[in-house]
Amino acid sequence: MIPRFEPVIIGFLCNWCSYTGADLAGVARMQYPPNLRPIRVMCTGMVHPGLVMEAFDQGTDGVLILGCHPGECHYLEGNKKALARAGVIFRVLEDKGINPERFEIQWISSAEASVFAELVTRFTQKIQKLGPYSPLPRQAYDTGIKTYDRL
Amino acid sequence: MTVRIAGEALNACSGCEISFLDMGERCITLMETLQIVHLPLLMDSKHSGITGRDHSFDIPEADIGLVSGSIKTDDHFHLARAMRKACSTVVALGTCAGHGGIPAMANAYDNQEIEQCFLSTISTDQGSLFPSAHVPALMDTCRAVDEIIRVDHYLPGCPPHPDHIFGLLTALAKGQDYDLPAKSVCSNCPALRNGKGEVVRLLRPLDLPAKASPGTGESRNGLLCFIEQGFLCMGPVTIDGCGGNSSLARCIEAGVPCRGCFGPLPYPGDQRLAMLNALVSNGIDMDSLPETRSLLRFSGGHGRLTPPFGKKDTRTDGS
Ligand code: SF4
Ligand code: SF4
Ligand code: SF4
Repeated sequence: MIPRFEPVIIGFLCNWCSYTGADLAGVARMQYPPNLRPIRVMCTGMVHPGLVMEAFDQGTDGVLILGCHPGECHYLEGNKKALARAGVIFRVLEDKGINPERFEIQWISSAEASVFAELVTRFTQKIQKLGPYSPLPRQAYDTGIKTYDRL
Repeated sequence: MTVRIAGEALNACSGCEISFLDMGERCITLMETLQIVHLPLLMDSKHSGITGRDHSFDIPEADIGLVSGSIKTDDHFHLARAMRKACSTVVALGTCAGHGGIPAMANAYDNQEIEQCFLSTISTDQGSLFPSAHVPALMDTCRAVDEIIRVDHYLPGCPPHPDHIFGLLTALAKGQDYDLPAKSVCSNCPALRNGKGEVVRLLRPLDLPAKASPGTGESRNGLLCFIEQGFLCMGPVTIDGCGGNSSLARCIEAGVPCRGCFGPLPYPGDQRLAMLNALVSNGIDMDSLPETRSLLRFSGGHGRLTPPFGKKDTRTDGS
């Protein structure tokens, strides 16, 4: 039997809403796939697109940014900034040849534990369908030298 | 003791070597301690490999190797490796060598498209093929030098400033280190900055500024930041140093926005990602730019610039 593909998903969760929501899902013993590796950030507005790209460079299969609903940001406009930055991420993913479906930005309030569980389930299934993301080493140039043996 | 210098230009335009000559009289000072043993663009030293017959590049042993240009063909590949073997210290001279530079814009296309582009023009004979003899084969992507060989020092710039070439060579001759300050062009820019928020769309270069800049005189006194005028300026994401020992950035001094030729800050960075991030974080609509790949016009190496998603054969993504 082929083992089921278990994707690695990195989540940037804001401290005030989504992380608390995820916490609540845990306290309420809700079931959702264990593929998400949550990283708690103070605000989604602080997640530089470079961090998301770095996650992909290091071989993660999907990235989620989860923040407070618009208008409910603890810092007033952080999630607005996160949304603007997400636009950059989509654009650059597409241009870099990475399927932009591997990235999502969503809003989860601290009370929406079930929404969080559903979202993680859906996203994990989606990534499972897409398959693993492997930043293929660009074909080593055919000179008989298989890797770049750095002299 | 004389320090021996060897130099080679790979996928390059010779601008870096011209910049070497632009040291002017300082070249003579340098030659008291340095000796150029091989530099085909400036001296009459050649090697047989250039004819494409074989890959034996007889580069004489040297202490410092100046490699300019990026790597896109068979020849560049072997030449870079020959330079590494011959030289105890390798300097990536210029943005091409350090980040891919202008030639790495080819990375936005695959080789087939590139070949088609020059084989099927109005003036080309029908049915032309990419020559198989006498012309080195193309590699899949255009790479920065440090993607192929180990590089000891980087001197960015398109071309690097003669002051820095002089500074680097004198430092290396004394066995010292030499680094450009890790600061952005903005950090040294005399332009007035009033803060965020007024510009929401970027203008095209020939449009009238959204907000007139009061100072346009020689001294740039009162010049308003280009981004606040509504124009794209790559200053925030580009490493400073293009002014050489006089600190003012060259393009700003000339009254035009920075185009990013000194490459990304921090190293290694993604100029497009950082610039778009800077724009959208300040409420500027990135869709007001007709396209964004040209933000990598100087740093498309290191896999930063690739053919876009949706072209199945060239996608790096497994899905
Ligand atoms: S860095 Fe600029 S000047 Fe130097 S070889 Fe490349 S294109 Fe020419
Ligand atoms: S964006 Fe350009 S004009 Fe504005 S401060 Fe930076 S370098 Fe100067
Ligand atoms: S201002 Fe920017 S584009 Fe102009 S020379 Fe300096 S780094 Fe290069």
